[in-house]
Amino acid sequence: MKLSRRDMLKSHAAAIAAGVANITVPAAAQPVEGGVGSLEIQWSKAPCRFCGTGCGVMVGVKEGKVVATHGDTLAEVNRGLNCIKGYFLSKIMYGGDRLTTPLLRKKNGVYTKDGEFTPVGWDEAFDVMAAQAKKTLKAKGPTAIGMFGSGQWTIWEGYAATKLMRAGFRSNNLDPNARHCMASAAYAFMRTFGMDEPMGCYDDFEAADAFVLWGSNMAEMHPILWTRLTDRRLSHPHVKVAVLSTFTNRSSDLADIPIVFKPGTDLAILNYIANHIISTGRVNQDFVNKHTSFVKGAVDIGYGLRAEHPLQTKAKGAADPGAMQPIDFEAYARFVKDYTLDNVSKLSGVERGFLQELAELYADPKRKVMSLWTMGFNQHVRGVWANQLVYNLHLLTGKISEPGNSPFSLTGQPSACGTAREVGTFAHRLPADMTVTNLAHRKHAEEIWRVPTGTIPEKPGYHAVEQDRMLRDGKLNFYWIQVNNNLQAAPNSSRETYPGYRNPDNFIVVSDAYPTVTALAADLILPAAMWVEKEGAYGNAERRTHFWRQLVNAPGEARSDLWQLMEFSKRFITDEVWPSELLAANPNYRGKSLFDVLFRNGSVDRFPLTELPAEVENQESKSFGFYVQKGLFEEYAGFGRGHGHDLAPFDSYHEGRGLRWPVVNGKETRWRYREGYDPYVKPGQGVHFYGQPDGKAKILAVPYEPPAESPDKDYDIWLVTGRVLEHWHSGSMTMRVPELYKAFPGARCFMHAEDARARGINNGAEIRLISRRGEIRTRVDTQGRNRMPRGVVFVPWFDASQLINKTTLDATDPISKQTDFKKCAVKIVPA
Amino acid sequence: MKSNRPTRRNLLTGRFMDEQPTIHISSAVVSVLPQRCEHVSQLLSEISGVEVHHRSASKIVIVIEGPDSGVLGGTLAEIASLSGVLSANMVFEQRLADLGT
Repeated sequence: MKLSRRDMLKSHAAAIAAGVANITVPAAAQPVEGGVGSLEIQWSKAPCRFCGTGCGVMVGVKEGKVVATHGDTLAEVNRGLNCIKGYFLSKIMYGGDRLTTPLLRKKNGVYTKDGEFTPVGWDEAFDVMAAQAKKTLKAKGPTAIGMFGSGQWTIWEGYAATKLMRAGFRSNNLDPNARHCMASAAYAFMRTFGMDEPMGCYDDFEAADAFVLWGSNMAEMHPILWTRLTDRRLSHPHVKVAVLSTFTNRSSDLADIPIVFKPGTDLAILNYIANHIISTGRVNQDFVNKHTSFVKGAVDIGYGLRAEHPLQTKAKGAADPGAMQPIDFEAYARFVKDYTLDNVSKLSGVERGFLQELAELYADPKRKVMSLWTMGFNQHVRGVWANQLVYNLHLLTGKISEPGNSPFSLTGQPSACGTAREVGTFAHRLPADMTVTNLAHRKHAEEIWRVPTGTIPEKPGYHAVEQDRMLRDGKLNFYWIQVNNNLQAAPNSSRETYPGYRNPDNFIVVSDAYPTVTALAADLILPAAMWVEKEGAYGNAERRTHFWRQLVNAPGEARSDLWQLMEFSKRFITDEVWPSELLAANPNYRGKSLFDVLFRNGSVDRFPLTELPAEVENQESKSFGFYVQKGLFEEYAGFGRGHGHDLAPFDSYHEGRGLRWPVVNGKETRWRYREGYDPYVKPGQGVHFYGQPDGKAKILAVPYEPPAESPDKDYDIWLVTGRVLEHWHSGSMTMRVPELYKAFPGARCFMHAEDARARGINNGAEIRLISRRGEIRTRVDTQGRNRMPRGVVFVPWFDASQLINKTTLDATDPISKQTDFKKCAVKIVPA
Repeated sequence: MKSNRPTRRNLLTGRFMDEQPTIHISSAVVSVLPQRCEHVSQLLSEISGVEVHHRSASKIVIVIEGPDSGVLGGTLAEIASLSGVLSANMVFEQRLADLGT
């Protein structure tokens, strides 16, 4: 039989997919020898721009434009697969309303807060911006200057930002949008292990005997990892999957143990499991004795609301929410004893049988367990506790730091780990898990950065939600937002976010590729280069650092955040921004620009342009005259090498598909803290949690405490917000892809049919969703992919035309300062 | 629709002459609940432009064909939301400059 070219191509395509899926195909259907011609497309590797999974994609460029992407078969993470969002990567840069020139609010030719957006050149934009920053510095000092960054910043962008803010402007008011996303996970890692980020990696998916999803709808939010999980479950019948959520979602389809619990009661379920492990005699005593210590946490710690809020003034433990006191195993066992099957079943609304089955997954010593979580745990007024309570289960049973036994915090942004956490762009952090409050850490950073001792301020800056409050209150007056859409993302936005942006005392700058709602509320918009329009590096959820090259030029005058940060720094001399005492003690820094001090410091500028391969484009390096990304990365890597955060040499990342740190002697680390896997664990130690001074991980005793706001007679239903498969976060990229827009064009309110009926609402009807803080109009969906229990509704937040965060509450975890977007009270009425 | 359709306008403006019609062919792996595999496979084969090529207990390899990658991606999004489908991921894509035989 003669195959047509089309048929040949189809069987070739199918054979490649079958290979990826491990399906054996008949010989006649094997890939065509040599493949089918690739039509003059230049292919290069890059990590995906979307979630924290960190898939590898091949990016096809033709005539200066990205024309196609496909899954990279050499990437270990996704092995050639590409989820629906990843498939449309080639279109995210080409939205019709891409920003190509700076836009400044002007009237009669000059900047004014109530002016109209007017195209200006970079010089004028930076002149006005620098004048505003200097005015603020002079009037109020560095604490009135702030910046809000992102887990989508490349590693060097975050690094340049932290240097500019902390050592340049001497302000710690730098926070990433990752505060909304995984601050609770980061705090819990630090409190439990003394080091941030997971001990395990994605290889655990192929080794676990049970998967427990705690507040994570992986089927929609992490489709590639979900595929790895489902492969394991479906090819190994003994594997069990438990899915815990406050409503039934697409991930529940695979669940052997589907659990829908009342919002907030996950804390009690976790303590019940600990009690079950202890009372049935399944504690791994040897592991617990050697490798753990027990502590009791402060209780009644409040809800991270404004200090004058009645819930805050009432909370007895609000002053020091992170306090921990040593206890012993017996005290811990007594503490969890009250969390009986009966009590917890009643509180959580979960059937006893399901709770027992779930507890057995952890208690059974023969079963390897991978726990997975994202926003359900992290966006939680007790998010740090929730994270720590799951570590308790893994530590009590010794199910940790080995293949398949893995408490694993998933992330939602491509470099939440690599940039926000590892570089340390949180208001209290420095690179490699160090903090600004620690004198030795500050001194170490000042040495590496080659700035005078005493340059970095000691006091932590304002965190994300506090920044909005301070903007509104007029205490933060110069504010620069990069790579995020905070007016859409932040809670209680009508009352706490928008007023600060439009406060006449404030100057707001937004760097973005598209006119988001945040950009449109700014005073100056700077057009940003995105993704493969610049050389970049991200760090994914499994500690994998991966790089890409600039593959195309950004349109018009759009420039990367890195270029913007560095170019802006040229407009300040030390004498304008540093106090006279600091300069008097260090006169050789007088009269220097911040660019000279921070970037032309003999370290960042040490690699000449000749280190760049000739065929590679690199806008920033050509603009500044040295290999900017390499210099920044190598200076930054100096923080972690030899301290458990070792990164490989710069150039090696351009060759492979990423490496999981610590990378020691060219070898990546898949499981930390375990002898034989982690080079930092000495022979004979077995397991060693070397982030803690005593080498022991902490098991924390904390109770169930209720959410900040629960339904009552006036606002009678729970609101949970979140995401959908087709759109990523605020939708600024995916809503501009016509096919994704069409697939899920607008937000809607998922609701139980009987709840709708009781309010006289039919499926598809328009409604008003109202909280104490604001309201939106949307439509009801009682038959869609999310199946709600009575009393709970779900609304995704991707839709800029339905800003659900007008209604959410700005309650945060008091320890991590991360907002709880999953629990507030609303009412729903027909529109 | 693509600008190269043989419409009167395209013909008059010469666009029809400049560009050759294209087809895009891609393959995808659809993971399904084993008990729904037969049913989903049937549903997939009924979608316009979709062919089922290989199957295992919980995986279906399909080929999607369409005039541009947008149509292919749109089809994949539709498949991802089908009941019984656990995930649907694209693997390989190729553009053919002419329709061939």
